[in-house]
Amino acid sequence: MKKSILFIICICSLVFTGCGYDNYDEPESTLSGKIVYEGNPVGVRTNAVRLDIWQDGYAVKKSFTAYIAHDGTYSVTLFDGQYKVVRRGGAPWEDQPNDTIIVNVKNKAVVDIPVKPYFIIKNESFQKGSGTITAKFTIDKILASANVAEVRLYLGKSILTDQNKNEKAVSATLSTITIGQEATLAAEIPANLVGQDYLFARVGVRSTVSSEFYYTQIQKISLK
Amino acid sequence: MKYLFIKISIFVSLFFVSCNHDSWLERDPQNIITDEQLWNDPKLIKSILANYYDRLPSLHGVFNTGGMSELDDAMWSGHHDQNGRNDFQYGDDYGRYWDYGFIRDLNLALENIDKYSVSIDEGQKNLFKSELRYIRASVYFELVKRMGGVPLVTKQLIYDFSGDPTPLQVARSKEYEVYDFIYTELEEIKSLLADNNDSQTRANTYTALALESRAMLYAASIAKYNNLMASPITTPGGEIGIPADKANDYYTKSLNASKAIISDSRYKLYNENADKGANFYDMLNKKGSSEVIFAKDFKVSLKIHFFAYDNIVKSITEDNEGSSTLSPSLSLVESFDYLDGSKGTIHNKDAKGNYTIYDNISDVFKNKDARLYGTVVYAGTSFKGTPVNIQAGVAVWENGSYRLSVSPNLGAKYTDNGLWTGFDGPVDNEQFVSNTGFYLRKLVSDASAASTRGTAAENWWPWFRLGEIYLNAAEAAFELQQADAKNYINTLRVRAGFPENSITTLTTDIIRNERRVELAFEDHRYFDLKRWRIAHEVWNGSDTSEDAVVHGLYPYRIVNPGHEDNNKYVFEKIRPNRFKRARFFRMANYYSSIDQNVLNNNPKLVKNPFH
Repeated sequence: MKKSILFIICICSLVFTGCGYDNYDEPESTLSGKIVYEGNPVGVRTNAVRLDIWQDGYAVKKSFTAYIAHDGTYSVTLFDGQYKVVRRGGAPWEDQPNDTIIVNVKNKAVVDIPVKPYFIIKNESFQKGSGTITAKFTIDKILASANVAEVRLYLGKSILTDQNKNEKAVSATLSTITIGQEATLAAEIPANLVGQDYLFARVGVRSTVSSEFYYTQIQKISLK
Repeated sequence: MKYLFIKISIFVSLFFVSCNHDSWLERDPQNIITDEQLWNDPKLIKSILANYYDRLPSLHGVFNTGGMSELDDAMWSGHHDQNGRNDFQYGDDYGRYWDYGFIRDLNLALENIDKYSVSIDEGQKNLFKSELRYIRASVYFELVKRMGGVPLVTKQLIYDFSGDPTPLQVARSKEYEVYDFIYTELEEIKSLLADNNDSQTRANTYTALALESRAMLYAASIAKYNNLMASPITTPGGEIGIPADKANDYYTKSLNASKAIISDSRYKLYNENADKGANFYDMLNKKGSSEVIFAKDFKVSLKIHFFAYDNIVKSITEDNEGSSTLSPSLSLVESFDYLDGSKGTIHNKDAKGNYTIYDNISDVFKNKDARLYGTVVYAGTSFKGTPVNIQAGVAVWENGSYRLSVSPNLGAKYTDNGLWTGFDGPVDNEQFVSNTGFYLRKLVSDASAASTRGTAAENWWPWFRLGEIYLNAAEAAFELQQADAKNYINTLRVRAGFPENSITTLTTDIIRNERRVELAFEDHRYFDLKRWRIAHEVWNGSDTSEDAVVHGLYPYRIVNPGHEDNNKYVFEKIRPNRFKRARFFRMANYYSSIDQNVLNNNPKLVKNPFH
């Protein structure tokens, strides 16, 4: 009896023995910031556009991805060290795959990433009419290589409103849009949003050379 | 002591025994086949070729139910645990293919057959070599379709242990160089493959021409349509993107190859059943049909597939699980034109939004392209001789409008003792029953026990068939502005039940729609959209898009006792609940990303755009 108790204790102690050597501490430093053009954050589609983050000094390389949030912010948790940030293609701004930004991370680093969008939208304002939302905005051309492919006004019920997720999207007639001059675009409030307390609206512009839109910051509009 | 002496002498005498039969010691191993044996025995060579034919690559072809639900005109209605197929984005690595292990196997075989084959005659040796080269060309075609210009490795790469791996690191070729390689190879081997001309499952002259026809058409469309994009997808080194001035040359090459097949009497458009719809189904379901140029064959008890188990109509399945996995989309059904030439839009409601009343449940599909029947099982038709029981519920006339009512149990009776919801659904948000109101007919075997897991199906997979060659010819001739382009399409449409010369003016849209309906679920759609560079517009990720979102059409029986509409039918267009996310094809998906480990191993490789 005594023996078997000893035996059980031995087995149990083996089971509860941990090993302190097989684990790294999890990364605790953060790198965060905004995607900016002339200091203003660039709105994007959620879960779409990203940054690649690389670190030199190892035999093989593998990047990891920082997704950019709808309002243009990004944030990653990583180890202290020197990193290279690469702006990936497929975005509403100029592709700069060879132009890296070197970032030193110690505990916490806030780095804004400058980009050159093909087009930007400024001075946007939204007005609620009877059953409609009217947007006023000005489109500016930043890069000469691009032309406007689409200008759209989006209405949605969540803060993540964009080309893919929306309740209503209205395209502007391109002939009515003049670069650098105020344009107007109106959309009817869809039936399923009419009874709500509020909705979200934003305007996007897409260039002919990219499949992604440049968006204004999302705006919450009270319907009551 | 004496015994010891005897023991020792016996023991010692063992050492003096010898044998003079060297051959007795040098015996062939029983469990290893040597290269000399392999490459001098046609039977063994054929069995190694069978292995390579079996490994011919496709993205989601060869009865890949799950894959088809991601990129063909259908959604996943199978087990709930795989609903991710209705809720995913094409990742950067979607369609990635980098099978240099297979390329090495083929290069090794080509070198060994030259090195070791001494006792098989030259003609046979050339045939085997040409088949290997055909398979290699197919692999390179699959590589260039998905990855762009890839390293062209045509010899074994052997490491010399010098510590320097650079001789093994081959840079990527230009995209057009890979297509040119495919063309040159096929031109060289096509006459050497003539001995196989009676086979539909081994590469022969016409298989080589068919691959030529398809590959050259792909190269030509990339040369043309990539450069028409606002921002063509290219790399500075030409690994991606083909110069626009090459388009005409490639279209001509494709057209010549197509014409060579069409003008040969060996293949005929299958047209043996007076019922045009059933004829279209038989064309792929009946083995040995004169339509099929090259197929992957299956045989019960040897090599089977489970496509019928996966996709058979719910009430007709012979197994206790599975069935109904692929639910074709309404958008596909609508892409089949009416036989009078009008657009195939389904008229379920009039301009005011009121239901159109149909006397019979199948009347809404009346007078459509017969290929619809051959591709999709819809309400009011039958499969395996058994009528299907598709009805979503009843539309009860109450207070001036219809109230749609769905039964909790399949096959239940409504209070008027008529059918409530059919045994085949459709049921929204349910598994193993259609979620769109449609089932797949094409490629689903109607053989006895084909839908059981114990027996499974043995119908074959068409790699190439004459119908595609007609479409390739039409497209190439149209792009080359030849007047006879429309004849190819009109011939195909006559088989589908249209009158002669149903198309008078050919357009790109007509050609694209014909390919969509003729070649649905044959692993073409994804690559067609890619090479025309319209995939990002068709699958634009928008919830309002008819193509990016799979919709369904639910039939309801009218319950309005005493009224003339009683027991007639109305149809409601729905978005299935299980289809969560609109398909979204990004620019980055035109060419898949190369694995980072591959890039790490070979610094000479350049990345694909957007990756």
